[in-house]
Amino acid sequence: MVDSKPMSRNQKLRHDRLTFYKEDIDRIDKLLAEFLRLSGAKCALLIDKEGHLVTKRGELRTVDIDTISALVAGSFAATKEMARLLGEEEFTAMFHQGERDNIQLSLVGDRTLLTILFDDRTTVGMVRLYAGETAKKLADIYADAINREPADDAGLGDDYGADAKNTLDKLFD
Amino acid sequence: MVQINFALKEVNCKVVFYGPGMSGKTTNLEIVHQKAPEENKGELTSISTDGDRTLFFDFMPLDLGNVAGMRTKFQLYTVPGQVYYNSTRKLVLQGVDGVIFVADSDPDKMDENVESYSNLIENLAEYGKDIRELPHVIQYNKRDLPNALSVAEIDKIMNKFGVPTFEAVAYTGEGVFPTLKTLAAMVLESIEKIDGRNPRKAAPEKAPAAAPVAAAPAPAPAPASASPRPVAAKPAGQGRAPAKQRGARPAAAGQAKGGQRRRKAGAPQAGAGRAGQRPANAGRRATGRGRQAAAPKKSGVGLAVGLTVTLLIAAAGVAYFVLGNPGF
Repeated sequence: MVDSKPMSRNQKLRHDRLTFYKEDIDRIDKLLAEFLRLSGAKCALLIDKEGHLVTKRGELRTVDIDTISALVAGSFAATKEMARLLGEEEFTAMFHQGERDNIQLSLVGDRTLLTILFDDRTTVGMVRLYAGETAKKLADIYADAINREPADDAGLGDDYGADAKNTLDKLFD
Repeated sequence: MVQINFALKEVNCKVVFYGPGMSGKTTNLEIVHQKAPEENKGELTSISTDGDRTLFFDFMPLDLGNVAGMRTKFQLYTVPGQVYYNSTRKLVLQGVDGVIFVADSDPDKMDENVESYSNLIENLAEYGKDIRELPHVIQYNKRDLPNALSVAEIDKIMNKFGVPTFEAVAYTGEGVFPTLKTLAAMVLESIEKIDGRNPRKAAPEKAPAAAPVAAAPAPAPAPASASPRPVAAKPAGQGRAPAKQRGARPAAAGQAKGGQRRRKAGAPQAGAGRAGQRPANAGRRATGRGRQAAAPKKSGVGLAVGLTVTLLIAAAGVAYFVLGNPGF
């Protein structure tokens, strides 16, 4: 929802773009691997609220991660609307129980969702306990990343625009 | 919101097909799914009702492949067009990077087109987005209708901001790819323009040091009064694409509009009937919901008016009581 106050320039930048750099993803991957070891869960996906995968650790049976990510983001968005109607800002966690596999979703910061797949090799209590700790640590990584000065050489290549045009011509013509 | 992931070497963008019910949004996506090369497309997933109407969204990932070392992917969504699904429609718009508005060429559907476009503007505003700053195009679908309104007439009604428009007969595939291609080019051009971390890309306005996790300079918005056609002045790809791309009309001009829905026999007619028979106040319902959602911004004024009215009623009540009871 729109804030009544006008956004500052930095807020506007954050509002329009979500960028992840390798050094941050490396730290996140390490944290997710540690989470899987402690909790006994099968797979951890970090997904942004628009339904794009940020990173993944562990085993996942389906190869269609794009669709899983989109559906996770969609269902989380729907619960946010439910929460709003009930007077809550948003629900910060969701749980789907299946016969064999279960999914636990936790909001991390204000833009990403930690999605954990687990089966009967562990328990929902263990997963929730470690997911909560991991979400806090992930939020710390985000805070560090935001405060760090970016490197000058990181960015899309100069030829991105021209190459994109060629790719579109090839795909659609 | 575009996600740029330098670890996965990926760029992800979200594109939404928007428009009134039965205008052909899902059909557009089905055609893209049918015709896109196997290696570029993922599964088409629909969250729809038993009657095959979109309930939440249809979704399909489209992988453009390697663009300057970055795997560039579009996530294509449709929204439910029916008026009473506005809450889910709004959710799908969250973080959108480009919109294809699919309008119906049937003269009887112009009110629905206009209402849906207004609804799009309202819903974007809820997320703090101005449609004039967002890459978007309009597709005039169902050009094979015998009574289809002329392009010039629809243009006058629908194309307030001078964005690229396309004629289409979506169920035959005509006009579907040109529409998507132009929108995709506009979105990618907007990404290239605003790479916040590379100072070379920050022109014309120097971007501040971008946050590593979330950063993006946005092009300065054109003031509302700067031009009657602000989007046309925006260099978001329109320079590359012709303002209008029109395909030849197919021979099957007499085809029923219900044919846009091919997924289940019978469903098109039923759906078309429902859409056609919608009560006249349905539009006001949608607009009203939009206003309700935006109400917090106007709560101060509303409160003042409410208090004044309450006080006046109370005063009138007291006067009536006193006058009616002289002994009081």
